[in-house]
Amino acid sequence: MVDNNQLREAVKKTISRDDVKYVVGYEKGTYGFQTTPCFAYKPEDADKFIFSPLCVHNLSVFPMLEEKPPLRKGEEPDKRKIGVVVKGCDSRAIVQILQEKGLDRDKVVIIGIPCTGVVDPKKLEKMFPGHIKNVEVKDDDDKFAVTVDGKTQKIQKSELIPDKCKTCEYPTPILYDILIGKEIKSNKNEDYKKVNEFEKKSLKDKWEYWEKQFDKCIRCYACRNACPLCYCKECMVDQLNPQWVRRSVNISENTAWNLLRAFHLAGRCIGCGQCERSCPMDIPLMELNKKIEKEIREMFEYEAGVNAEEKPLLAMFKPDDPEEFIL
Amino acid sequence: MKDNPYQPWLANIEEIRDEVGGQRPIKTFKLKFQDKELQNNFSYIPGQCAMVSLFGEGECFFAISSSPTKKGFIEVSVMKLGKVTSALHDLEPGDIVGVRGPYGNNFDVKGWKGKNLIFIGGGIGQAPLRSLINYVVDNRKDYGKLDIIYGARTSKDISYKDEFAELEKRKDVDVHLSIDVKEEGWKKFVGFVPDNLLKVKPSPKNSIAITCGPPIMIKFVIQNLEKLGFTEDQIFTTLEMRMKCGIGKCGRCNIGNLYVCKDGPVFSYKQLKNIYGER
Amino acid sequence: MDSLLLSKNDLPKFMTELIKKNKVFAPVESNGTIIYEQITKPSEMNLDFCKSEYPPKALILNQTETLFKFTPGTKAKIESVDIDEKKIIFGIRPCDAKSIAILEHAFKGDYKDPYFLKKRENTVLVGLSCTKPEINCFCTSFDDTPASSKYLDILLTDIGDNYYVEVTNDKGKLLTKSMSQLFKPAKDSDIKKKKEVEKKAVDIISRHQKTNGIADKLDKIFEHPFWKDIAFKCVGCGTCTYLCPTCHCFDIQDESTLTKGARVRVWDTCMNPEYTLHASGYNPRPARTNRVRNRIYHKYNYYPKNFDVIACVGCGRCIDLCPVNIDIIDVVTRAGEVKP
Repeated sequence: MVDNNQLREAVKKTISRDDVKYVVGYEKGTYGFQTTPCFAYKPEDADKFIFSPLCVHNLSVFPMLEEKPPLRKGEEPDKRKIGVVVKGCDSRAIVQILQEKGLDRDKVVIIGIPCTGVVDPKKLEKMFPGHIKNVEVKDDDDKFAVTVDGKTQKIQKSELIPDKCKTCEYPTPILYDILIGKEIKSNKNEDYKKVNEFEKKSLKDKWEYWEKQFDKCIRCYACRNACPLCYCKECMVDQLNPQWVRRSVNISENTAWNLLRAFHLAGRCIGCGQCERSCPMDIPLMELNKKIEKEIREMFEYEAGVNAEEKPLLAMFKPDDPEEFIL
Repeated sequence: MKDNPYQPWLANIEEIRDEVGGQRPIKTFKLKFQDKELQNNFSYIPGQCAMVSLFGEGECFFAISSSPTKKGFIEVSVMKLGKVTSALHDLEPGDIVGVRGPYGNNFDVKGWKGKNLIFIGGGIGQAPLRSLINYVVDNRKDYGKLDIIYGARTSKDISYKDEFAELEKRKDVDVHLSIDVKEEGWKKFVGFVPDNLLKVKPSPKNSIAITCGPPIMIKFVIQNLEKLGFTEDQIFTTLEMRMKCGIGKCGRCNIGNLYVCKDGPVFSYKQLKNIYGER
Repeated sequence: MDSLLLSKNDLPKFMTELIKKNKVFAPVESNGTIIYEQITKPSEMNLDFCKSEYPPKALILNQTETLFKFTPGTKAKIESVDIDEKKIIFGIRPCDAKSIAILEHAFKGDYKDPYFLKKRENTVLVGLSCTKPEINCFCTSFDDTPASSKYLDILLTDIGDNYYVEVTNDKGKLLTKSMSQLFKPAKDSDIKKKKEVEKKAVDIISRHQKTNGIADKLDKIFEHPFWKDIAFKCVGCGTCTYLCPTCHCFDIQDESTLTKGARVRVWDTCMNPEYTLHASGYNPRPARTNRVRNRIYHKYNYYPKNFDVIACVGCGRCIDLCPVNIDIIDVVTRAGEVKP
């Protein structure tokens, strides 16, 4: 259970620093179960900050979205830090970006939140459809206390949490400047149950499954834009000369896009599930990411985003790296 | 207009002229439609544009840089910048391109009859002005005093050199060339176009000033024109945007509710002051 | 024009007849969501839904459209494509039908877009009134209802044992006439029933956008810091625009192999920075603020200025699926309250 007052105090303290540009956190959304990213530029703004199991977004995408418009004559670049509220999984994105030197450690102030699992908004909407007034969800041991129209119901967490939370190994942020509340230890471990089951399918069945999924893709690139690790200055899909992926929306180009993105995140995806959550067409993108994550764990005993001091997987070579896959 | 505005006509490249070399070279392409009847009937007014494409590479929107007074062909001047323009620069005479148009509005060549015209251009921005200048010179008796102010970074960067040389010989046109940086052998003005404008000091009386070029140049040219007493409805310019359809449907070239491809590219300074939107 | 009745039991017969002679697209459930797909028998349809996530505008303004084919390179030849295909869209909602009428403004005018206009001309829109609007539906904010027949050729409303059938024009009449044995004239009591169904649906709609004078108001607040506030949480994906039934912007590109090629147009999104990026590297809309503002202005200011209609039908798709809860009801309502 996160104490919102403690969170607000931390945000206030952070934004009061001269060297902080803004703090990004969560506030109540415009309806129902929604929460939404919000920004504090001055101490008063901290009062709207909240944290609850509805705070699903990975906010570490925001430092990567910073636009750097051309400076006017004599104008100094704004070198101040950005404060970010992160859960355990979100923090791994920052760790990974730090590893890749996509961000300097002294450019972010990390406000860490030990997290016991968030709600999958799609599951919640199905259970309680059509609520305008803000639905409240509180953490209650192995249950969520969901308050709708003044009535509170307790629901088993397992019914509402996304897959990633079921096997979360890092509920407490790996890296933080301020921690809200007490550290939580995980007794869960990633067992790749879904991946293992899928691997048993025949090649034909596998292909049929993914063909159906990629056929739905509308190429809005919400997966890419919501992903904190997709921070290339120019995405390969936008490049024209040479053009790697055509603009046409069809099964061939859609497959190319989704597979290329999955491979570009090999050893980099930290499993926050932003891509899958953001996908308007419900493509189970995490199944792709998890498959690659599993292969990498087995082959290189490497896990993305858990150690800021380590080099990124693709930037290190060990003489005893397995090489059976090299022809 | 034909039934399908997206389908271009085929045109042969008759001639390619190098205007400027260097890192961002400019070439002028002389194009002739394969359909003879179309070639005879294709009419346009200075300021209008055309979509030129190389099949397999894509399309680009260019100001038509030839004058409608010269019949039997159209010309576009292309600076090598992106994917399509780079591919166009690799073409040779005889190759086929697609052309559709003419698109956009135009300079008010009828309304400006009897007026003194001041053309202020820079770099590749001279393309639409070249069409207008040649039109006006070919209808010389319809217009008052003509001043052409044009500048480039170096003498090598001056486009349409031969035509400037011809114009300089004429007694009824005043040409004022400039380069940005001092060069040996250059006897004309050294400095930026807006400064050359102040030196030439055209009178605003019964005059129209038309300026095309880089946005930063246009900004200071307009400031200086106002210093000289030009009012906002005496100043005209053309705008540029990324474009795809050329006919006001694909959305990207809007400034407020106007589409540069269809409602532009020619705007009076008065219009520009009154519309909001990014440009 | 005509008010008829179609017994619910006769719907399969009606559909079977339609399918015999036409390409019929109807709502179909696939992977848990509703999409409009060509059907071969009535049982493939699923009419128990509010809206499809992917808008049926895609059947007229296709996400990928081949404009023409060519032989690539410097000795090119062009080959036109056939765009005369006829079809029926069955079960389209009044809001989605309205969006097609709104899109038509952009595609007619000085330059007629043959792809959109031909397809619209060759399509019969047989609508189905919406009886269970969802949380983010707000069509009533634009003086329409979940049962407006205005933009449809035929509208069916579920009034119990029958569908109340409104035939609004000759195109619709041609269809019902060819199967006149299935239709009975409607009585006043049926009209009353339809009104009741309509009112019930209207009453379900609980979110409203204040659109009064919004175009004029936007004229005054273009530079307001409000837009930065709205746009800062945008991650810049194209979900809102791709799912929007009135967004019409597109990209045109050549896609070719060594021997054959096609010029295609594909939906594009003003949320993408590349959308306005000049070849010189200059970008007139470099920041999210510019882009989010453009989306709102295009719908609530530029479109009303150019065509006298707001380019939003209140379907709520952009709200439902925005990954960061940018809520157009909230944005526009708040824009109306901002002090210039």
